[in-house]
Amino acid sequence: MRDSGRARVVLAVLLLTAFTLITLDYRSGSGGPLRRLANAVFGPVENAVGDVARPIGSFFSGLGHLSSYKSDNAKLRKEVAQLRSQLRLTDAERARLADEEKLLHLDQLAQFRIVAAHVSAVGGSLDFESTATIDVGSRDGITANMTVIDGDGLVGKTLSVGPTTTTVLLANDVQFSAGARLESSQLIGHVDGGGRGPMTFTLLDSQGSIKVGSRLVTFGDIGQKPFVPEVPIGRVTRVVPTPGALTRTAEVTPYVGFDSLDVVGVVVSAPRTVKRDSLLPPTATPTPAPSTPPPSTPPPSSPPATPAATVSPSPSRTH
Amino acid sequence: MRRALLAGVVVITALLLQVGVVNPLDLPIGHPDLVVLCVVALALVAGPMWGTVLGFAAGLAADVMPPADHALGRLAMAYALVGYAAGLLEDLEERSVVTTVAVVAAASAAVVLVFAGVGALLGDARVGAGSVADSLTATILYDVILAPFIVPLVSGAARRAEPVTTY
Repeated sequence: MRDSGRARVVLAVLLLTAFTLITLDYRSGSGGPLRRLANAVFGPVENAVGDVARPIGSFFSGLGHLSSYKSDNAKLRKEVAQLRSQLRLTDAERARLADEEKLLHLDQLAQFRIVAAHVSAVGGSLDFESTATIDVGSRDGITANMTVIDGDGLVGKTLSVGPTTTTVLLANDVQFSAGARLESSQLIGHVDGGGRGPMTFTLLDSQGSIKVGSRLVTFGDIGQKPFVPEVPIGRVTRVVPTPGALTRTAEVTPYVGFDSLDVVGVVVSAPRTVKRDSLLPPTATPTPAPSTPPPSTPPPSSPPATPAATVSPSPSRTH
Repeated sequence: MRRALLAGVVVITALLLQVGVVNPLDLPIGHPDLVVLCVVALALVAGPMWGTVLGFAAGLAADVMPPADHALGRLAMAYALVGYAAGLLEDLEERSVVTTVAVVAAASAAVVLVFAGVGALLGDARVGAGSVADSLTATILYDVILAPFIVPLVSGAARRAEPVTTY
C-alpha cells in the first residue's frame, strides 16, 4: 500500500506537469521551436519508416497480378521480357506515377515552382487531427505557411518545418481555412475543413447564389502565403439553406483524396498572376452543370482559352 | 533498468508504426491506438508508479511526434492516468484474456475522453460530438481486436526483461 501511495504522489506531480506544459504550449501555437526540434529528431526516422512501408503496401496490392507474368507461350516470352520493365510496376507504383504525372501537368499549367515530396507519415492523435509529414524540409527551401498541392488540387498548408521533414495541415482538418472563389465569378468566401464530415464553403455575400456543381479555387492571400491563387479545391455538392443569414453556406467535395495521399508538391513560388480558372480540370465532365455559362466570357484582356483541348490525365476525381 | 530500456524501445516503435503504417491505412471510422495498448501492457507488469511514469513519457513522445498538432501535454496527461490505473491491476495475477480486453477497452475510452476533455477546455475546434464519438468507437473497437495479440507479447517481454520485481 506504501507503493501505491507513492504512485499517487508521482501521478499528481506528473499530471500537474502535464497541465503546466499544456498551458505553456497552448500559447506558442503550431510552429513553435519544440515542433521544429521534433521534426528534426523524428523526421528522418519517419522518412525511413515511410520508405520501408510504401513498398510493402505496393507489394500486397501487387500480389494479385503475379499470375499475369507467367505466360508459357514461347513466342510471347521475348515480348514479355521487353515489357517486363513496365509490368513490374505494381498497381500502386503505377498509381504513383500517374499522381506524379498529374502533379507535373498542373504544375506546368500554373507555372508554379514546386518541390515534390512523398507523404511519409500521417497524423491522427486519436483521429482528431488530419495532418501529414512530408519528406522535404528547410533544406529544400520549404518554410511555414506554404501551399501544398497534388495533381488534383489543394492538399493543405505547411505548419512546422524541420531540416528534412515538414508537417502539413491537410485541408480536411477542422482547423483548416482558406480563402476561396467560385469559378467564373468574382464571388469570394472561405472554405473550411470538416474533419470526417464534408468541407464547407461560406460565401461572404448574402445576395450571391451558389449552384450545386460549381467549382471552387483558392482566392490567394497577400504575398501568396499561405495560399497561392487558382488552385482547385473541389465542387459544391449541396447548398445549405440559411435563411436570413448574412452569409451563404455550401458543402464541398474536395478534388483531393485525403485517404490516399502519396505524391504532393509544395509551392515554393508562384507567378504574380495566374490566369483565372486556368487550373480547373476541363469541363468535359458529365456533371449536370446547370446553366453554367460556357467559358466564352473571359475577363477583359485575357487571351482566349488555355489548352483545354490537351489530353489531360486528370479527369476530375469525383465520387 | 533493462525494463525501462525495453519500454522506451516498445513505445517509440509503436509511435513510429502508428504514424508511418497504421494512420495511412484507410480504415472505416478511425484507427487503433497502438500506444495505449503498449502502455497498458507494460503497466500491468510494472505497477502503478512505473505505469504512471511510463504513460507520461509515452504521451509526451506522442505529443511531439510529427505530424502531431495540439498543445503539448494533452496525451501525456491521458496516458499517465491510464498507466496509473492499469498499474493498480498489477496484482490481478490470474488475468484472463477477457480481463485484459476489458482493461484495454476502458483504457482506450479513458485516453480519448481525457484528450478530448482537455481539448474542449482549451476550445479546440476539432473536439465535437461527432469526432469524439468516432474516435471512441474506432479506438475501442480496433484496440480490443488487437489486444489479445499485442498485450501478451509486450507484457511477456517486459516480464522477461526483469524477472524479479524489486520494489
